[in-house]
Amino acid sequence: MTAGTSAPTDQQPATVSSSDAVAARVRGLRKTFGDTVAIDDVDLDVPAGAVLGMLGPNGSGKTTLIRMLLGLTRPTAGTVELLGRSGNDLASALPDVGALVEGPGFHPFLSGRDNLLRAAAAEPRLDGNLREPVDAALERVGLADAARKRYRAYSLGMKQRLGLAAALLVPRRLVVLDEPTNGLDPAGTRDVRRVVAELRASGATVLLSSHLLAEVEAVCSHVAVLQTGTLLVAGELQTLLDADTGGLVVSTPDVDDAILALREAGAPSYRAEGGVAVPPGRLEAPEVVAALVAAGVAVWEVHRRRAHLEELFARLTEEDA
Amino acid sequence: MTTLETRTATRTTAPLGRLAAAEVRWVLRRPRTLVLLGLLALVPVAIGVGIALTGGPGDGDRDGPGLVAAVAGNGLVLPIAAMGLALTLLLPLTVATASADALAGEASHGTLRGLLLAPVGRTRLVVMKAVGVVTVAVLAVLLVAVVGVLTGLVVVGGPSGTMITLSGTTLGLGEALGRVLLVAAWTVVQLLAVAAVALAVSAFTEHPLVVLASVLGGLIVFGVLAAIPSLEWLQPLLLTSGWSAGTDALRDPLPLDGLVSSTGRALVYLVLGVGITVWRMRRRDG
Repeated sequence: MTAGTSAPTDQQPATVSSSDAVAARVRGLRKTFGDTVAIDDVDLDVPAGAVLGMLGPNGSGKTTLIRMLLGLTRPTAGTVELLGRSGNDLASALPDVGALVEGPGFHPFLSGRDNLLRAAAAEPRLDGNLREPVDAALERVGLADAARKRYRAYSLGMKQRLGLAAALLVPRRLVVLDEPTNGLDPAGTRDVRRVVAELRASGATVLLSSHLLAEVEAVCSHVAVLQTGTLLVAGELQTLLDADTGGLVVSTPDVDDAILALREAGAPSYRAEGGVAVPPGRLEAPEVVAALVAAGVAVWEVHRRRAHLEELFARLTEEDA
Repeated sequence: MTTLETRTATRTTAPLGRLAAAEVRWVLRRPRTLVLLGLLALVPVAIGVGIALTGGPGDGDRDGPGLVAAVAGNGLVLPIAAMGLALTLLLPLTVATASADALAGEASHGTLRGLLLAPVGRTRLVVMKAVGVVTVAVLAVLLVAVVGVLTGLVVVGGPSGTMITLSGTTLGLGEALGRVLLVAAWTVVQLLAVAAVALAVSAFTEHPLVVLASVLGGLIVFGVLAAIPSLEWLQPLLLTSGWSAGTDALRDPLPLDGLVSSTGRALVYLVLGVGITVWRMRRRDG
């Protein structure tokens, strides 16, 4: 939260945590399809317990990265570590990983419930009665009423919910959601938010990709931004936002005195609604307050101007383009 | 309870029995499987009713064309004739459909990804899929055989539960049913060869129709190649060229050469098909 923390630049390998506990880690990851480079030398850590939002324009490599993380696609180069497993042992981490990748996949001639029962039969962590976890998962995503309807008759949003239910059949350590709110109505979007919050509260790590910035801003603790296969930036969402603008807004009736005092203290400022705005870079927040108080300026409130992910994302992706 | 929980917490894939049971349940609930099985059950009924209505070839017309003519007044030949007829198209179509849905179909629905992520190990996945396809093959052949025996006995009738062989001798009910069972087993092996090749194609594509087209196209090509005299040296390599051996079961004493050599050929196709399937599925992107 302290101002002055700089975001990792796109030149350096971006890691999102200083902590050693990571749920997933990729190093030097690269994937080419013929002449097309889908992922180019990506280093990324997903800290345990984080909700990491992966952002990027369409075709930026989000899904390819996720598919390599889950062992669905072989990397051209680089390593993947999932819950401490890597290489040929990667699959042994999968029982604790729930995933909704590239949209829900189910059989149209079976009901939602029968589809989940079939998926449950393949889950290593389930034993004995499969109906209980299946019904619980259906309940959790709000599909209990439509459970016995054929998948064929499901709306896009219901299909998406069923895909989410399959990812939640077993308590997971890591849940990977690729565009989870695709096709969902506002209630469905809220449900996804609730589920993500529940997962986080239970200590699970969540990796979700999305192009809905507001969505990511609402639920994620960390973000990673991809563009044309390269990781532009990754880190704690708040740190990135603070570093991106981080200016202060001071509410005061003595605007002219405040601007004068700050200029003398070495920081430019300008008139803003209800007070003055102090751009970041020169003075830390306590120094600003000290300078104002020393000059006898009445300070009602000082708050950090909150940047939005939208601006950050636009700046990052356009700058590079 | 504790040991059970420990096992569940440490194992990295679901028990194979549960996977196989889920697969069989899935196969047998699929509408197209049921439709194809229903059509197959109609084959012996259609032959039987046809013969009962026309009275078969006339009594003085014993040199009429082979197998179907031999069914007239000789009901226990019906299941063997029906299996032979179904083997030309409907049975291969049935197992090719099952194989197409098993891998290509799952891939096109996005469900293959789910299985790989569960995870069902890649080799285990092939085993699980093979169980489903074998189930379809066995059920399909048994259905034709059983409906054939019943239709033969009820609709066509015969010399009081006996079978007259093509060689002119008469077999008792027990031995006649033994011959039917032999042809059924032989037909299942031939079908499994088709299914294994279909499964191998299925492992390379996510379009089930490609599998069906390859298998049916392949059967037609084999038929054409077999009909070209200058390509006679190819005969031992073609799966279909042994398919007339089923009729051997109607001779007395039973000639085993054709049945044995065609079974051997089918096993070669089977091993190749399964081998390629496993090789491919261990590498395939999910």
